[in-house]
Amino acid sequence: MCVLALAAFTLAPAQEEEKEKDIDNPHHGKQEMVEAGRKLYLNSCSACHGPTGEGGRGPGLIKSGMIRGASNRRLFTTIKDGVRGSDMPPSTLDDGKIWQIVTFVKYLNAPAYETSAAGNADAGERLFFGKAGCVECHSIRGRGGVLGPDLSGAGLTRTYAHLRESLLNPDERPTDGYQGVSIQLKSGRRVEGVARNQTNYSLQVLDAKGGLHLLSSLDIEQVSFRKGSLMPGDYKTRLSKSEIDDLLAFLSRQVIRVPEKEK
Amino acid sequence: MSARCWMLLAAAAVLSAQVRYEDILKGPSADWITYAGDYAGQRHSPLKQITVENAGHVVPKWFHSLEGAKRLECVPLVKDGVMYFTDSNTVVALDARTGRRIWRYKDEQVKRQDVNRGVALLGSRLYFVTSDAHLVALDAKTGGVHWSVSYAETKKGYFATVAPFAVKNLIIVGVSGGDSGMRGFVAAYHAETGKEVWRTYTIPARGEPGSETWGDLTVDWGGAGTWLSGTYDPALNLIYWTTGNPWPDFYGGDRKGDNLYSDSVIALDPDSGKMKWYFQFTPHDVWDWDAQSWPVLIDMEFNGRMRKVLLHANRNGFFYVLDRVTGEFLRATPYLDKLTWASGVDAKGRPILVPGMEPTPNGKVVCPSIRGGTNWMSHSYNPATGLLYFPTVEQCDVFTSSSKHPEPMKNFAGTGVEAIPKDPGKFYLRALDPKTGKRRWEYPMTGDTSMWAGTVSTAGGVVFFGDDDGHLVAVDARDGRHLWHFNTGQRLTASPITYEVGGKQYVAIAAASGVFAFGLFEPAVSVPPLKISDSR
Repeated sequence: MCVLALAAFTLAPAQEEEKEKDIDNPHHGKQEMVEAGRKLYLNSCSACHGPTGEGGRGPGLIKSGMIRGASNRRLFTTIKDGVRGSDMPPSTLDDGKIWQIVTFVKYLNAPAYETSAAGNADAGERLFFGKAGCVECHSIRGRGGVLGPDLSGAGLTRTYAHLRESLLNPDERPTDGYQGVSIQLKSGRRVEGVARNQTNYSLQVLDAKGGLHLLSSLDIEQVSFRKGSLMPGDYKTRLSKSEIDDLLAFLSRQVIRVPEKEK
Repeated sequence: MSARCWMLLAAAAVLSAQVRYEDILKGPSADWITYAGDYAGQRHSPLKQITVENAGHVVPKWFHSLEGAKRLECVPLVKDGVMYFTDSNTVVALDARTGRRIWRYKDEQVKRQDVNRGVALLGSRLYFVTSDAHLVALDAKTGGVHWSVSYAETKKGYFATVAPFAVKNLIIVGVSGGDSGMRGFVAAYHAETGKEVWRTYTIPARGEPGSETWGDLTVDWGGAGTWLSGTYDPALNLIYWTTGNPWPDFYGGDRKGDNLYSDSVIALDPDSGKMKWYFQFTPHDVWDWDAQSWPVLIDMEFNGRMRKVLLHANRNGFFYVLDRVTGEFLRATPYLDKLTWASGVDAKGRPILVPGMEPTPNGKVVCPSIRGGTNWMSHSYNPATGLLYFPTVEQCDVFTSSSKHPEPMKNFAGTGVEAIPKDPGKFYLRALDPKTGKRRWEYPMTGDTSMWAGTVSTAGGVVFFGDDDGHLVAVDARDGRHLWHFNTGQRLTASPITYEVGGKQYVAIAAASGVFAFGLFEPAVSVPPLKISDSR
């Protein structure tokens, strides 16, 4: 069983300076430049930003809406000039190498569909609908359960890193509207499911069968929220490394419509 | 408790949100499950908790603000206590009692952002269109995607705003784009699979009858958009769909005939898409008077015998009564005081033109204005009063034209209109007796004439409508007497609905940035904070 606790992308608001026309990244879309950038990043950036952009002494680069929405110009000048008043120094690399790092940082933040997942998507599909049990809680194009987020468009709405984290460390990034809840009503009836919304005055609960319960607090005796995600936290051990890769490859391919540029 | 146990627990008292075709056939109910409330398009609810006597006690119940929304044009639908409404490329499901969000779906891949007029409900799904003309099927419980199909290409001039229309097992859609060149059509898709079942163009193909009413360019690009939802007569098995203006809007030199089937209502067989009849309100339109105002289906006595009729207050200023079995023209009467382009309508329903009213390069003052005497804002009909209620605007414009050779998709409409500052016009809610075509009463508005809000009629004898000052207003259906109003503080570009949840009647309207819901005043009940036990 696999319930991915996936938060939706939140794009950063456009920055004033980014309203001017952006500059082209000469390495955009070149996989070899991603790899070259990765090596440079590991040498020059990872000590502060973490080996996979997760952050450390410096800010994380993969969960930040500001980074995700940043223009080429902004990323390039930040690396080249550093950030005054912070520990981020100006780069000593030439412009070509800086562009390689920009390409890698962009790659870290690209939708999973646009990145190269290592696994076998067909094998991942079999896992999703079979052994891994994801389909019990997640749906893809109407097939599956309702207690986890719909994953029909997961490849375009999440980065690969996001998918991976959601699968392996689901409690790190819980998704709003999917917290498990058990409610004792004054009538004696009990309702179990996920709280799609909640206030002091009402709760909107979806149960495992897709039943929606629109509850007034006046009818509620007691509420108990599940600690952590409903998503099992043991996929690291339950699935092999290659199975995890396969499952992520399958999820990375899920789009509601094929992006324009591929048509 | 293990995660598995949590997920496998069954629950009682489930809200299923299923809408069967039979449910729609039953007609208006406590829910509001189609764009016009029922197939007949009457927008008349059987709810009567709010009455003429107590309408003064209506108060706001909740407001749901949708981030980024600036101009909602949707009619919300309500089923089993859940409200569904739309914005550009976005659908939201709410708890209809509290306004709290249950889910939101947003298609981030769409580059266009046009207004959206709402969803269709059928089975356990809902259907809506994206601005770039994809028809999308969503799970009504979760907002999860079942399928998404492209039904028109933006590179051919199309975009989409229509609220889909559910009939039998079909989802029927139309297209926008008629003001800059495209070829309109209505299309039906299988609700389960998303496969196209039929497509009927509103401009005949070259060589087909009616194609001779266009020019060489315009026969392929003449518009006749289909951007308003439809009505349906199950006994006749006919759907009624209105069509938009011919293109270029204000210059007819490249389309010298009647321009079939623009500015018309067409009757289609929902099983095949075959056109059974059509009636064109404004042949060779050069004033941009789309026929997109609501066709209302009623049975009424006409010249001594009961007829199945279609009522239609057209933008061109005339109120039409048609036989909806055959499309036979029965009667047309002006519903405007200012109507200068035609002196009347002949025995076959064709307007009798006043010479010299076509747009000119220097401009020609014509009444009604470009927005017409009324428009797509919803009309309603109360069987008890026998009256049709619709917003009308007494307004004229200066219409200008250019003979510049039109190019499709270049935003060229043959030029356009200018408002007349010293005579900005005036909106009225008017009640018309369809048996006579005569005005029974009117309620004047005082705003800036910028609004697109419609009406809803109730068995409580109350008509709710939006005015051009941003108010939701309630009046007595019998005589138009004011009963209540509420200032939303926003421009209204959508039509109200009414529904019942938990034995209580609500009235709701989408305003610019969100949805307002109203109901009768009840004293507040003290709600203690939720008792939350230790998390597990």
